[in-house]
Amino acid sequence: MPLLKTTAITLKSRKWGEADRIVTFYTLRFGKLRGVARGARRMKSRFGSALEPFVSCDLNLFEKPNDTLHRVSQADIKETFPALREDLVLMAGAARMANLVIAITADGDPAPRIFETLLRGLRSLNEGHDPGLTTLLFQIKLLGLTGFRPQTDHCAACGQDMQVQGEGTAGRFSAQAGGLVCDACTRRRSERYLFLAPGSLAFLQQALRMTPEVLNRLKAGGQVRSELETAIEAYVTVVAGKRLPPVDFLAAEAGEPAYELKR
Amino acid sequence: MGVDQQGLLAQLIRELVRLPGIGQKTAQRLAFHVLKTEREEALRLADAIRAVKDGLSFCRQCRNIAEEELCEFCRDPKRDHSKILVVEEPSTLYAIERTGIYRGLYHVLLGSLSPLDGVGPADIKVHELEDRLKDGGIQEVILATNPTIEGEATAIYLTKLIKPYGATVSRIAYGIPVGMDIEYADEVTLIKSLEGRRDL
Ligand SMILES: [Zn+2]
Ligand SMILES: [Zn+2]
Repeated sequence: MPLLKTTAITLKSRKWGEADRIVTFYTLRFGKLRGVARGARRMKSRFGSALEPFVSCDLNLFEKPNDTLHRVSQADIKETFPALREDLVLMAGAARMANLVIAITADGDPAPRIFETLLRGLRSLNEGHDPGLTTLLFQIKLLGLTGFRPQTDHCAACGQDMQVQGEGTAGRFSAQAGGLVCDACTRRRSERYLFLAPGSLAFLQQALRMTPEVLNRLKAGGQVRSELETAIEAYVTVVAGKRLPPVDFLAAEAGEPAYELKR
Repeated sequence: MGVDQQGLLAQLIRELVRLPGIGQKTAQRLAFHVLKTEREEALRLADAIRAVKDGLSFCRQCRNIAEEELCEFCRDPKRDHSKILVVEEPSTLYAIERTGIYRGLYHVLLGSLSPLDGVGPADIKVHELEDRLKDGGIQEVILATNPTIEGEATAIYLTKLIKPYGATVSRIAYGIPVGMDIEYADEVTLIKSLEGRRDL
């Protein structure tokens, strides 16, 4: 059984058997992986809290031949994000990040950029950046890194160059097609479109171009924010193949202030 | 396995696999064990399952396991009916009961809230807890949810829910297990035990 060593972020952890856990990781060197941590729920578990969601650790796994489920042999905490355990708004944002990574990345497909984007996303939330905006930008970035980049330069349906539609015009976003669609296609296809004002469109294009290091410098509010949140939510549902728990899950019900007013 | 794909044994294996923590291989092993066991011994298991399903359900008040409408604790007039200790599962309740130091009532949520899995308040016994608070007479609520992300989410949510009813809310302390060297505790555990420190 070969030993895999890598830095990892725990995405999800669920109870298994008497005292074990099955943990889904996003790792720096091997992409998304799943492993069994034997005895992880026992009082004297050697894993402690290293396998809790949203914790980054140095991970050792034994690879099991012909099995997608590995065996966790060691996990030492590298970085924790304590605020994400203490606030429902932050927790829901982090949960959305983890759920989207789980939904749209393949097992064992290394992508260091995805790892870095996730790490920076969790850090931003933990450090107190606007949670709604941070989560929105993370989702746009992740879609861009996974082959689900929302189309903004060409019509997502027919491939026609969108520049022809003219600069500074509003766009029609189709979640089904995966981006903006041209006038001709809008008339031909019978689906729901979401209007994106020129400002929203520019923001989306800018977010897709930016590197994760500078992503949290982007600011948006009001119409831009709400248009893009709606469009990205619809697109994420299409790409993930299911509705993910909402980005304000539990927070809204617990009577937290509206998402964008939080900080 | 090849043998008896549609037959009686396969049916038993399919039922066993549905149990938590039982995989295909274990289920096969158990099914073959049942096949080899004396009829009377094997049927004792079936009878025990039937007896539990017929004779037990959940307490109308606290959702603990109960033989009658109310569980043994809710029925007991000697317990302190102004205190509720909230747990995720009945097994935690019995672990706390074994210590013998808690004399109040319980509330079993039968699950925990999960932002990752989208488990919301309506999916567990949260409204039932709120109904008990509405009925009045509750002065203290102690939260004993697990120190996992789900347990944290549940505790934060319940604190916001309970406070307006005027009851004191506290959460059991998390930290270093007794008998362990502090230097071996991990970062998150240390933070939690520092936060949970108390005056001497
Ligand atoms: Zn087109
Ligand atoms: Zn009861």
